[in-house]
Amino acid sequence: MGYLNNSVVTVDAILTKKGRELLARGDGSFRITQFALSDDEIDYTLYNTSHPSGSAYYGEAIEAMPLLEAFPDETQIMKYKLTTLPRGTARLPILATKSVVTLKQGQSEAITPQTLNYLGNNQTFETSGYTFTIADARVASAFQGVGINTEEANRLNSTTTLGTNVSKTVIGTSLNITATSVNTLFGTNTQLQTTLTIIGRDSGARVTIPVTITKVN
Amino acid sequence: MSFKRFDAEDLVIASEAVSAPVWSTGDPILTTFFTSSTQPNLESGKFYYDVYQTGSTLDNAAVQFSIAYGDLDGSGSAPYNSSVVGKSPSSTIYGQYRTLVLGDEESSFSFGGVSQEYFYAITIDRNQFKESLLPASFNLTLKNTSNRILTLTDNSTAVTTVSYNDAGRVYQVVSGSNGVPYTGVNANGYTATSGSYGLFLPDIGTIILNGAALDINGAQGINLSTTRGTTAAANPAKLYQVINSGSSFQLNYKETVTSQFVFARIRNSEFNYSTNPSYITGSGDLRISSMLDTPQSYITSVGMYNDNNELLAVAKLSRPLLKDFTKEALIRIKLDF
Repeated sequence: MGYLNNSVVTVDAILTKKGRELLARGDGSFRITQFALSDDEIDYTLYNTSHPSGSAYYGEAIEAMPLLEAFPDETQIMKYKLTTLPRGTARLPILATKSVVTLKQGQSEAITPQTLNYLGNNQTFETSGYTFTIADARVASAFQGVGINTEEANRLNSTTTLGTNVSKTVIGTSLNITATSVNTLFGTNTQLQTTLTIIGRDSGARVTIPVTITKVN
Repeated sequence: MSFKRFDAEDLVIASEAVSAPVWSTGDPILTTFFTSSTQPNLESGKFYYDVYQTGSTLDNAAVQFSIAYGDLDGSGSAPYNSSVVGKSPSSTIYGQYRTLVLGDEESSFSFGGVSQEYFYAITIDRNQFKESLLPASFNLTLKNTSNRILTLTDNSTAVTTVSYNDAGRVYQVVSGSNGVPYTGVNANGYTATSGSYGLFLPDIGTIILNGAALDINGAQGINLSTTRGTTAAANPAKLYQVINSGSSFQLNYKETVTSQFVFARIRNSEFNYSTNPSYITGSGDLRISSMLDTPQSYITSVGMYNDNNELLAVAKLSRPLLKDFTKEALIRIKLDF
């Protein structure tokens, strides 16, 4: 007889930059209602199906990995979410969209992602839409999700945080983005760069694409 | 689906009391004390002296507490205006603490039932005492140039009913140690005629010492020789000297830490696939063929979101946790505020 495995894992959490921002806003938007899991840092090519000790040891190199502490930047963590799919799924949903976004100052563009391999469809738009997160909200004078008219989607579109380089998240089936026309942000540079992360709200599929704003004047 | 909603019982708020030494050295007893040589010449020097745990110009110097002198008549410091008698930094300090502690401009300070007109206030730096001082942890040794030693504590273990005033809980400062009065002079640890040695006010991080009791030239006092007159007397420096010579100031704080516990319950059928790029090929196919029958994933992080899918908090596990269709997991996450 041995001891039973006490399987409750206790971990300490930190607030993200966005969490601190919403906590400071004090409007009730800091309210934890759901969770997601991710396997950031895991490299599945370390999963060794040729391990001489057998299948129980396939994940040996992964399971021995010491993990880094959490980053407070919400755009740099929870990148690769675990997802719930029926057993036997052979192809996982992925997002199809532009691979880069390059805009001149003041220029606008609409981005409409699609989800591949989802719910038996080769190509589909997700019913709940997509979450669009720009890492530095200052580079866009307009950053609006369209196509989803829920209360939360409308609220995100109208929410603005003044000041430093905080991220901004909106919801929609597509995104309208307009590059900033403010010269001050460029300093002595001719380009501003940030990233746009798109996540399927139903599938969990995720893609991050670089965004470049080019100075005109 | 990548998100799972919490049930109401998955979110729990809990508070716990934490106590620790007040001093930034981390030691329960502060044995060395330093003041700034420039402060006496500054405007603030007319009101209080800051006391550091190390030389005030060093990088790790931090104010541990401040010493101020308060006098009803404005004695012991030069008046603001020579034609206005009784209005000086010491009367300002007296009025400040009278409002803060007594809440009545008509009242005067009473130490153990004896009214007194002047006092010394030791104010612990807010960063050091966090929320409140811990009664019975207060032990202060005063030693004068004649090597006479007086050890002060609060009487928290001797009282059965806690008294309150406008500054919250109030205990008498008495001769003794660890909250237990020394009964050699009086059963309650007070002086014979000047009342108690002061007030211990844990909720505002302040200790008010009875100047008259410290001035006693005998076994009950240390002959502090408080100067009361219309010229600047630097009385805070006198108290600093006896604290410095005593080389022992023990004090703990008590803080209530409120935590939110979040329980992430992961069923066997959930979260067995990953969107990790190394998990799939460019077209979305599983990269590892054996996972077609027995999909596996590794949990490294738990993200907590609001209804807008905004990531509010995140927890990392210390090592990857294997998840497949035969495993369930319960992860308890602690969020401190």
